[in-house]
Amino acid sequence: MEADRKPAERSASAAAPTRAATMAASAAAADRRKGTFWRGTLPFLLTCWKLNLAGAMEFRLSFLMTAGMMFLNNVIWLLFWGIFFDRFPDVAGWELKDVMLLWAVSAGGFGWASVLLGNFTRIAYLTANGELDVYLTQPKPLLLNVLASRMSLTAIGDFLFGAAIYAYVGDHSWTGLASFLLALLMSGLFFLFFTLAAGSLAFFFGNAEGIAFQLFNSFLAFTTYPADIFKGLGRLLLFTIVPAGFISYMPIGLLRGWDGSFMLAAAGMLLLLAALSLGLFYAGLRRYSSGNRMAMRS
Amino acid sequence: MNVLETKGLRKTFRVKRKEPGFAASLRSLWAPSWSEKEAVSGIDLAVEEGETIAFLGPNGAGKSTTIKMLTGILHPSGGEATVLGHVPWQERKQLAYRIGTVFGQKSQLWYHLPPSDTFELMSRIYELDRDDYRRRRDLLIERFELGPYLDTAVRRLSLGERMRCEIACSFLHRPRLLFLDEPTIGLDAMIKERIRELIAELNREEGTTVFLTSHDAGDIERLCRRAVVIHHGGIMVDGSVQRLKRDILRYKTVAVRLAESSPPAELLPLPPGARRLPADAGQLRLSVDLTEIGVEQVLQGLMSTLAIADVTIEDPPMEEVIKTLFARGRDEGVAAREEDAP
Repeated sequence: MEADRKPAERSASAAAPTRAATMAASAAAADRRKGTFWRGTLPFLLTCWKLNLAGAMEFRLSFLMTAGMMFLNNVIWLLFWGIFFDRFPDVAGWELKDVMLLWAVSAGGFGWASVLLGNFTRIAYLTANGELDVYLTQPKPLLLNVLASRMSLTAIGDFLFGAAIYAYVGDHSWTGLASFLLALLMSGLFFLFFTLAAGSLAFFFGNAEGIAFQLFNSFLAFTTYPADIFKGLGRLLLFTIVPAGFISYMPIGLLRGWDGSFMLAAAGMLLLLAALSLGLFYAGLRRYSSGNRMAMRS
Repeated sequence: MNVLETKGLRKTFRVKRKEPGFAASLRSLWAPSWSEKEAVSGIDLAVEEGETIAFLGPNGAGKSTTIKMLTGILHPSGGEATVLGHVPWQERKQLAYRIGTVFGQKSQLWYHLPPSDTFELMSRIYELDRDDYRRRRDLLIERFELGPYLDTAVRRLSLGERMRCEIACSFLHRPRLLFLDEPTIGLDAMIKERIRELIAELNREEGTTVFLTSHDAGDIERLCRRAVVIHHGGIMVDGSVQRLKRDILRYKTVAVRLAESSPPAELLPLPPGARRLPADAGQLRLSVDLTEIGVEQVLQGLMSTLAIADVTIEDPPMEEVIKTLFARGRDEGVAAREEDAP
């Protein structure tokens, strides 16, 4: 059938197209000014976090119980370590206080990352189920938008646990506090980028939720044991392929005293991991195939 | 001025093939078999500013895939496209400030929070000036009648209420082009009608170009002036909705209201090409096949034997047009496959 492409008849007056064109031009000029960090991204992130928290508090009891149970869960693990250190006061040079701080750094780091950027553990799921669509239609940095759109409730308990342990056994001097905050920051970023890289495999393998979950769990498990109990190949893996060692050595390499070579290696590995995970995510995005599953952000 | 142009836009997906059965599953573990599925095969399209265009096709025709390429969600396998001067998959963010999207199956609303909170978030996402945002929000709340449930958590809203919020949200930043993918899916007739009215009003008043996919003939009839029908990933028909109704089905419905003095119409002999349809007492409805007989001839015949109070001549309903088009597409597809067969 022959094409018939008449434009729509408009009810507006003859002056309307000129006005519309002027409006469009000024809108385009305004759009060009958008997208800066201070005026665009930061207010968006703050609103996102505020609404995430509001959403979490819609179910107050669930919120308190979920966060509280995670806090208790972590405390129980420390009780086991307490019993252990009661019989063996020194494990490869580590004392109970070091293990407590290790848990504080690991849980606290995971906690802040999951509270502020809570979708990082769900990248494989979101990708495999075509749930990036809504984020892709919004004019915000995609990854930041996806990550900040969810807050993990259990992670609030993790973060509070980390803070409580620091308050209990940590070094309360200014340098002690700064070191702890740096450890938390780096720990959260290690969790974030490692899990993002694992989750981004979904772009390449399709349903990679299983493998991403396994990798995340391995990483998480290794961050809760003193790095020095691993020797040989295990230690090599811990500081390369599954770089959980950079978190689990923090109590010695940063909190007990500044170990320059360890911190340099940690920063280097973090940069490498960040580049790898971001590269995987954005390269994978070109292969994103969407989907037709019903979805709603919650 | 064109707001949207595509040339040979194409998208193929790599699909894993597996024969049924456990043995085939085991085989596919070490020797998987893949094939290319062409979802969109070379679409050429131009849409002018202010148009309301219906993008139609049966399930799997490539409608959603095309919209996803035009909004920057998917990268195409080939071809070109510009939307408001931007290449969607390369300038996604710049484009997103200027378009709106509503996916019937994917919500932008925050499930556990009231729509007012999503409005707030959207204002930050699109970086709207605060005063302008408040004015615009209040206007949309009034127009879409969202007031009563603006502060109710989205999970407690009905589907119709949710969809009104969804569409109102998509208008918040005054998009120049609005993509609607099945916006009335699952809604009752009254809500559908209201949503169509609102979209039509904003198209008229703000000149927003509307690009709509739907399976609902009512959406197309009430909202769109132009229809593009795609099938097997390619454009099958591109024309005005009125013209589609006129040309695709070569029949018209003649509805006659009889005068009180008229003899009964039940026994009236009908000419070849005219078929009686169910009608109320005192009325006569005929389906006239224009390939066999003209409407004037039928009317002349009726007027010579009946006393007529009123006559209306109707085009076939859009529903019928779509059914015919899709059936035609299916038959062509079968014929093409038969030709390809060795």
